[in-house]
Amino acid sequence: MSRHVDRITLSVVRGVLETTQREMTLTLEKTARSSVFNTAHDYSNAIFDHRAEMILQGQDIPIHLGSLMPAMKAVAGFFGDDLHEGDVIYHNDPRYMGSHILDCCMYNPVFYRGELVFWTVCKGHVTDIGGPVPAGYNPDAKDLYAEGLHIPPVKLWDRGKERKDVVNFMLSNMRARRDQEGDLRAQYGAVKVGERNLIALLDKYGVRTVRDCIDELMDMADRQMRALIGSLPDGVYEDSALVEDAGHGYGDLEIKARVEIRGDTCKIAIDSPPQIPYFINSYAGNSVSGVYLGLMMFAQVDPPYNEGLYRCVELDLGPKGTLCNAVEPAPSVNCTTTPMETLADAVRKALEKAAPDRAVASWGHANGVNIAGRDNRNNEEYVSMILASIISGAGATGFMDGWHACGPQCCFGALTSGDIEVLEHSYPIIIHRYSLMTDSGGAGKYRGGSGTVWEVEPLDHEMTVITFGEGRRFPALGAAGAHSELNDAKVGRLVVHTAAGEKVYRDNVVITIKPGERAANHNPGGGGYGDPFERSVECVADDVRNGIVSVIGARAEYGVVMKPGTLTPDEEATTRLRSEHAAA
Amino acid sequence: MASKYRLGIDAGGTFTDFVFSDNEGNIRLFKSTSTPDDGTQAIDAGLQQISAAVGRSVADILADTDLCINGTTIALNALIQFKGVKVGLICTAGHEDSIEIRLGHKEDGHRYDAKYPPARMLVPRYLRAPVRERIRSDGKVHIALHEEDVRAACELFRREAVQAVVISFVWSVLDRSHEHRAAEIAREMLPGVFLSIGSEVFPQMREYTRTSTAILNGYLGPVLQGYVSGIDAYMRKRGLRTPVQYFQSNGGMATGRAMAQKAVYAVNSGPASAPQAGLYFAKPLGIDNIITVDMGGTSFDITLTQGGRTNISKNIDFLRYRIGVPMIQVETLGAGGGSIAWIDKSGLLLVGPQSAGAVPGPACYGRGGREPTVTDANVVLGYLHPKYLLRGRLKLDHQAAVDAIQARVAGPFDMTVDAAAYGIFRIVNNNMVGGMRRVSIERGHDPRDFALVGAGGAGPLHITALAAEMGIRQVLVPKLASGLCAFGQIISDVKYNYMSACPMRLDERADFSAIRDLYASMERDANDALRAEGFADADIGIERSMDLRYVGQVHECTVELGSMEISAATFPEIRARLDRLHKQLFTYDEPESLAEVVNIESTVFGRVPKLNPPRYAQGGADASAAKDHERAVVFAFDGGIRRVPTPIYDGAKMLAGNVVTGPAVIEEETTSIVVEPGWVAKLDPYGTYVLTRT
Repeated sequence: MSRHVDRITLSVVRGVLETTQREMTLTLEKTARSSVFNTAHDYSNAIFDHRAEMILQGQDIPIHLGSLMPAMKAVAGFFGDDLHEGDVIYHNDPRYMGSHILDCCMYNPVFYRGELVFWTVCKGHVTDIGGPVPAGYNPDAKDLYAEGLHIPPVKLWDRGKERKDVVNFMLSNMRARRDQEGDLRAQYGAVKVGERNLIALLDKYGVRTVRDCIDELMDMADRQMRALIGSLPDGVYEDSALVEDAGHGYGDLEIKARVEIRGDTCKIAIDSPPQIPYFINSYAGNSVSGVYLGLMMFAQVDPPYNEGLYRCVELDLGPKGTLCNAVEPAPSVNCTTTPMETLADAVRKALEKAAPDRAVASWGHANGVNIAGRDNRNNEEYVSMILASIISGAGATGFMDGWHACGPQCCFGALTSGDIEVLEHSYPIIIHRYSLMTDSGGAGKYRGGSGTVWEVEPLDHEMTVITFGEGRRFPALGAAGAHSELNDAKVGRLVVHTAAGEKVYRDNVVITIKPGERAANHNPGGGGYGDPFERSVECVADDVRNGIVSVIGARAEYGVVMKPGTLTPDEEATTRLRSEHAAA
Repeated sequence: MASKYRLGIDAGGTFTDFVFSDNEGNIRLFKSTSTPDDGTQAIDAGLQQISAAVGRSVADILADTDLCINGTTIALNALIQFKGVKVGLICTAGHEDSIEIRLGHKEDGHRYDAKYPPARMLVPRYLRAPVRERIRSDGKVHIALHEEDVRAACELFRREAVQAVVISFVWSVLDRSHEHRAAEIAREMLPGVFLSIGSEVFPQMREYTRTSTAILNGYLGPVLQGYVSGIDAYMRKRGLRTPVQYFQSNGGMATGRAMAQKAVYAVNSGPASAPQAGLYFAKPLGIDNIITVDMGGTSFDITLTQGGRTNISKNIDFLRYRIGVPMIQVETLGAGGGSIAWIDKSGLLLVGPQSAGAVPGPACYGRGGREPTVTDANVVLGYLHPKYLLRGRLKLDHQAAVDAIQARVAGPFDMTVDAAAYGIFRIVNNNMVGGMRRVSIERGHDPRDFALVGAGGAGPLHITALAAEMGIRQVLVPKLASGLCAFGQIISDVKYNYMSACPMRLDERADFSAIRDLYASMERDANDALRAEGFADADIGIERSMDLRYVGQVHECTVELGSMEISAATFPEIRARLDRLHKQLFTYDEPESLAEVVNIESTVFGRVPKLNPPRYAQGGADASAAKDHERAVVFAFDGGIRRVPTPIYDGAKMLAGNVVTGPAVIEEETTSIVVEPGWVAKLDPYGTYVLTRT
């Protein structure tokens, strides 16, 4: 090791950084008021150094973390040398590299003996940000002004003193103020817990040693990514993926990715259609997340995760004014899921052309609901994104079936949907169903994971249900020759049960339901891997017994015939059907 | 609590340890080979040894024995090896998948790992039977219990020969009637089946945690029940007059009957007593920061204690299964003396997690084992005596160890047997260091601030190597190291955890008498049980706690209250403790916000009189009188491994104050301490070898 750092100290510093990040996360979770923070983990914490480089990205939501890198630099650059001990900055604006305005981010510069040494940063999805539609997802917004409150970098604490007028101004624009205020304090707790741990670290080892360790950790990440990219054949690899039309009328939109591998570096260029007056445009900061998610799904490298990972990667998000490099006044509230997951798919698929043996299937894309209404128990307004409503199936890999109920792709298993008793305690609702869905996983030699259905009824009040996302027409992409027959079982939808019957929604809508009515949000399964007719009969029979695959699905998708009225496969009929398939 | 003897028995995967003390301060350690199919055989063998050593009959000894404590890894091993019973779940329709959805989360550390498999289901989906019923969050019945659904479930379970039935409904903590009625039906239709009921096993809010905890309880209950009733009957027959006490994962003891009903409290019973025992030996040296590592035949257990306090976990994933009830934090790996060395498909040498166990055991035991194990490597390297263990009671076949390592590792790798043996030693050490890092470094503790306590029969062989790898400069190895957990048990209190959901706002106007009544009803049962076990009122203690939070939060702070009475008069103090704790944990508090109670808990314990520490004869620094012989032992030096002549000391002849400089091996009866070059060992007056790095 070139720097004078012993291995144990390096390990300890790395451990303290990781623990610090986890403790920030824990603080937010334990203290927050809204279910998005306190049960659903829709937040991310990171630590940056004095150069505004990310030194620890943690294991939180992938889609938050990529955009934090340019956002941190935009915020630090905005204030320049007007930064002082005790300042705390807030920001959500995509025009300053924010992701979408619901992701509000707190930046806490950490000073040590008068010198800026670190930033502790906490980004979280607030449950409301003003605007005409509760929870922020307004499918009718034609521009960003119609979406809600935009917060350019602003100091909420100035040299240790809270700017109560500014905080009040901000909270006055948000619904369910008590929750928002509690969540803001929780973010403050998170960045300050981070600061406390980092200062203890500096007290123990000194700035010099800690910096050497951090530089070494960044180099380790860099070496790891370069080793992987260096192992790929030089060349240009291209692929694309489709964003489905979820009600905007502009048709399905194609995102293209072009990857150029040269030695141990790569250049990723995106080409997407012009931005549209619908909330699925992605500004540059957010698109960085999508590209990095596709890269990480492909690379599957081990920690440490920090900005060093991306040193060897050059990005070109395409011309300004396009879907993946949007500019004012494009609306963008849906961008962290759509088109982000499709962007990640396009990048990953292009990379896989350089190494087909690394191919993996897509995870179910996000297609979820927000709820809002009045809580008669305390006569207060409530509003929340329900992360339990977006839990989709994971994609299969060349090694195993996809996990059930682990998506969506943009969160990659980092969410937790929250205990249903906690949700029912927090909101005046009853959750009738939260379960897996038969035939929802993509068929393959390795099956995609099952999606979930989340079914809700309001208690004693009318409730607004707001949907967002996509994945209601296109199933998650399979890999290595996977193909499915029962595609309608594999995509998401909102099904509303009323006295008048059942109504299915595949577009993004804002609707109202009453007690006695139920809204069931279905989530897509993950994509499959390989030819489903090569899946072992035993595995298929096991899936049938457990209701993961139906008898019809076993036959149509896997060529496995069950003996009528039993859960036992008919081996003769199965062999016949499978050999006919092979011959065809 | 006035009888002559105390006996602690710790049944591990390979050996069963016995720690036997009399009221004159003599503490002795015995070992027998575990008999997994019938634990009483191993106990029988141990009792014979004790009888021979004490010179009295087993019946006489047991008649004079007060505390016979059994720590067992039976539940843990059943979970690790998926050898629990076939379980059926009766649950609220629509929520049969909560244990498979697992909150939609993939564990941190595996975010981009394409090969990390999902957790294996203890109850497969086809045995999760939905029942139409529903209690609401306000405690009202929304859908009445459809008894025909419960009956249909029981029919299914009968056809499937299910051995345990778990009943767990949404919001059953607010109204237990549906669970109780379903249990009646199950008892009637499936007589003799083991029942595990959510609101009884873990009466707290959070459906997923409760259901998962109840499932583990059902999965392990019948296994533990069989074990406990076998031991109880055997001990009664042999003359024990008091009921056997069993050690629980919460760090306290319980009777067998209580334990079998709450099997989930036993899941980590064995290793949970290590911190108490470690502190017992560390405190006289002024040390209260310790990491204990216990390496037996099958597993390697790690605990961390800082400032004398060991962390308790609640609502955690243990071996990937959510458990709500409190447990001492223990990290466990499949690394022990019996761990098998093998070469994987890609040609890498791996060690464990498979273990040769007690039968056939390592190749050198000569019981038919052909696979090379860590113990075989230790024999080849010279760390263990080449001919026998346990003062000659266990003969070793040195050549069999050499042959196994030659055939499975050295041959395929085309290397010397010494090099292959040292490779096995290094790889198992590396696995163990990974576990120690998770407990210390990854939780923000610098291992260099801790003393390492080496335990288990195999632990002291590796302890200086492990310490060096972790940068730890001080190591403690008690003479009782190989029975550390059994010793920890005989110095532990009897301890029962009680908990109850108690949702209410907490301000001056709160219904304090209702909270008092809840505490009183929980504690009454425990007091009665402890009195029946012979504890005087003065020896019964209570530690209360409340899970409190600010209104609107959903996570709680556990506020410790000691034995404080709950009333309007003590409310300001309770409230102040919440604010203080919140600030300490999260850097800020909200004194102006309303607080609420979620759950209350009470730990009721019967104090067991403390043992007087053993004292050892004092001598000077010169240990030459204890030197037994020399043999060639393999150590790593700059430039590679070398076999060097090494003094072997007889632990029985060591006097307090004796100093041994590495390289050396100190052979105790049930373990050997490898003092690597660069280390010095000194025996302290309480029988602890204190090893420091020079």
